[in-house]
Amino acid sequence: MGTFLKRHHWVTPLALLTPGILWLLVFYLYPAFQMFLASFWSGSLEKGFEFSLSNWVNYPNAISQFAPFYVRSIVYAAAATTTTFLIAYPLAYTIAFKGGRFKNLLLFLVVAPFFTSFLLRTLSWEIILADNGPILGPLKSIGIVPSEFRILATPMAVIAGITYNFLPFMTLPVYVALEKVDNRLVEAAKDLYAGPWRPGGLIAGVLIGGVLMGVLGMVFNAGPVMFAIVGAAFGGTVGWFLISESFIRITFPLSVSGVFAGGLLTFIPAIGDYVNAELLGDTQTYMIGNVIQNKFLTQNDYPIASALSFTMMAGVLVVVAIYAKVLGTEELSAAAARA
Amino acid sequence: MTTNDKFAGTPISRRRLLQGSALMGVAAFLAACGTKGTSATVAPSAAPTTAASAGSGQAAASSAASVAPTATPVPTPAPTDAAGAINWANWTYYIDVDPKDQKKHPTLDAFTKSTGLEVKYQEVIDDNESFFGTIQPQLQGGQDTGWDVITMTDWMAARLIRLGWVQSFNAANMPNFVANLKDNYKGVGWDPDGSHHAPWQSGMTGIGFDPAKTGDITSLAVYFTVDPRWKGKTELLSEMRDTIGLTMLHLGLDPAQPTRDACDKAVAALQQAKADGIIRSLKGNSYAEDLKAGNAVLVMAWSGDMVQVLVDKPGIKFVVADEGGMLWTDNSMIPNGALHKNGAEKLIDYYYIPENAALVEDYVNYICPCKGADVALKKIDPAVATNPLIFPPDSITAKLHIFGALTEDDETYFNQQFAKVIGVG
Repeated sequence: MGTFLKRHHWVTPLALLTPGILWLLVFYLYPAFQMFLASFWSGSLEKGFEFSLSNWVNYPNAISQFAPFYVRSIVYAAAATTTTFLIAYPLAYTIAFKGGRFKNLLLFLVVAPFFTSFLLRTLSWEIILADNGPILGPLKSIGIVPSEFRILATPMAVIAGITYNFLPFMTLPVYVALEKVDNRLVEAAKDLYAGPWRPGGLIAGVLIGGVLMGVLGMVFNAGPVMFAIVGAAFGGTVGWFLISESFIRITFPLSVSGVFAGGLLTFIPAIGDYVNAELLGDTQTYMIGNVIQNKFLTQNDYPIASALSFTMMAGVLVVVAIYAKVLGTEELSAAAARA
Repeated sequence: MTTNDKFAGTPISRRRLLQGSALMGVAAFLAACGTKGTSATVAPSAAPTTAASAGSGQAAASSAASVAPTATPVPTPAPTDAAGAINWANWTYYIDVDPKDQKKHPTLDAFTKSTGLEVKYQEVIDDNESFFGTIQPQLQGGQDTGWDVITMTDWMAARLIRLGWVQSFNAANMPNFVANLKDNYKGVGWDPDGSHHAPWQSGMTGIGFDPAKTGDITSLAVYFTVDPRWKGKTELLSEMRDTIGLTMLHLGLDPAQPTRDACDKAVAALQQAKADGIIRSLKGNSYAEDLKAGNAVLVMAWSGDMVQVLVDKPGIKFVVADEGGMLWTDNSMIPNGALHKNGAEKLIDYYYIPENAALVEDYVNYICPCKGADVALKKIDPAVATNPLIFPPDSITAKLHIFGALTEDDETYFNQQFAKVIGVG
């Protein structure tokens, strides 16, 4: 047995891979293939569906009719991934570098919401963001916010909901990557005159602060330019003083693998999300997931629903491939080798 | 030449060829798969309904009894039940619960005590379509779904009957159902002799509003009128038949005759209301939370939800509009392949004994289809027995409309147009 395995080295890896491959085959490839075939059907539930290659027109029909939903889903998912990144990175950085003996507790707190169901968490946001609820109520009575203002049933609520629901997916990979950063490298950089990253930090802070506050100002209809200036000033100050060259040159590049993984884990499920749009949105915020759900369950239009799903899957694969090319999987393995 | 170069230029190896042809073979096999239509296999046959006419004594019912219902393509089930509990799938909050133990249901326990039959009651339905999605593959394949009784809303019941996927009742087994079903539930277009469905609970769709913010409201026109009191704070129902039904009533059309032309007019009116900024969103039950929280001040509401909302927030009101309201029903049905048909029939029949229906009504607070339940309830809980949302007076019942039956093509058309109103079309 030993010599057999030594001579035919391909047997051991194949044997180890087989359960995983079988699982993928049965529970992913076969259903995906079935769905692909279903997208070539025509007919109805009661009259029966028929397969025909001439039904390839289902694809252009479906895509042209629902293109706005695809665009909206990508925009919302990208926005949610960005905000998740902006919140999760500092959070993971603090836990990894400043956590000390509270690291495990802090990590537990990040994951703790997952002990309740996804639906309950989203529903609780309906209560928190209510028109006269715990946040808007006091703001309205003070007068900062006009009394007709609302957060629920707007795109902002949907993106906020997605951000909240996927925060641990971004925090944990980034934390793992940051945890692996060797502190001696950072110390070495500091020894070699790495100080505050003045000009870069200023520009980055101004940009991020300005854009964020400008968007908030647009949402609140309270003078986006004023908000943007205030945000730029604040962000610029933070960037000038707090972002160091050692962070930009050492820590951040070493954590890119975590950012890559976290970004994927957030963006891909966020595109297909339909719960947040349904509970927190209104008639103008539905995403492609809602459309597919309606087509499949309410209208029993399996061909179009399958075409939409398959297009989304293919699109996401293309996006991920580009993303991997940009961030570079060679850098990922090289970074791992260095660490 | 390194090892890498040696394999870099290999055009197509034998393994690749085998993999490719296997894949093509699988593809060819699967391409032969479609699904067979179900309506093509329907064979007409008459189900025995003679016992029904003896019990009801109504002219309408007895003439309906002679109409042959569409039959199922499955052979008649065995007369004796398999061993095991009767499996009942229902919606949440739709049966009485023991106030001390939320998992116990006194009427079910009493049923088990009196008949010796166990019942496994599961509140797994929260949406007609998603539940339909779970039972459709088995029903299509002629297999047992695992359910003996399912509770489906009118239009889904109509679809199941159209597909031939539910069994007809053995009326000899169900004397109380035959005797005590209220008359306004009889003779529906999609099941004229009532042999395939037994109404479980009914509800009205009407106007729910906060009079402190909107003033007094009696007309459906409010949903289509721009008024700063409710502009942007109005919610409609995501249930197509309720929203389009009420819109048709507003336009003076009859929801019992739903034509494509009526659909177009209703959808146009709704799109206009959306464009005018009146509508905040279209939702299911969650409108109740929005109404209580003040996110919405005017909604299309279901009477059962409103009974609870009125208790939670006493200022809110529910009315059936002057133009009318919708009446919808959730119906108990026995799907094909059920292993405990006899027990299921006895279970359905048990709840047509007025005292048992009264016990359920005391908790559920929807509208009861059983005659005599309000009389039985007066002894236990007079407040519920006289609540007009639970036992509406005849003046209200006369204003209620049941949405008409749709063919499959029309149903698809209506759903497609309504999807545009919801925002997913």
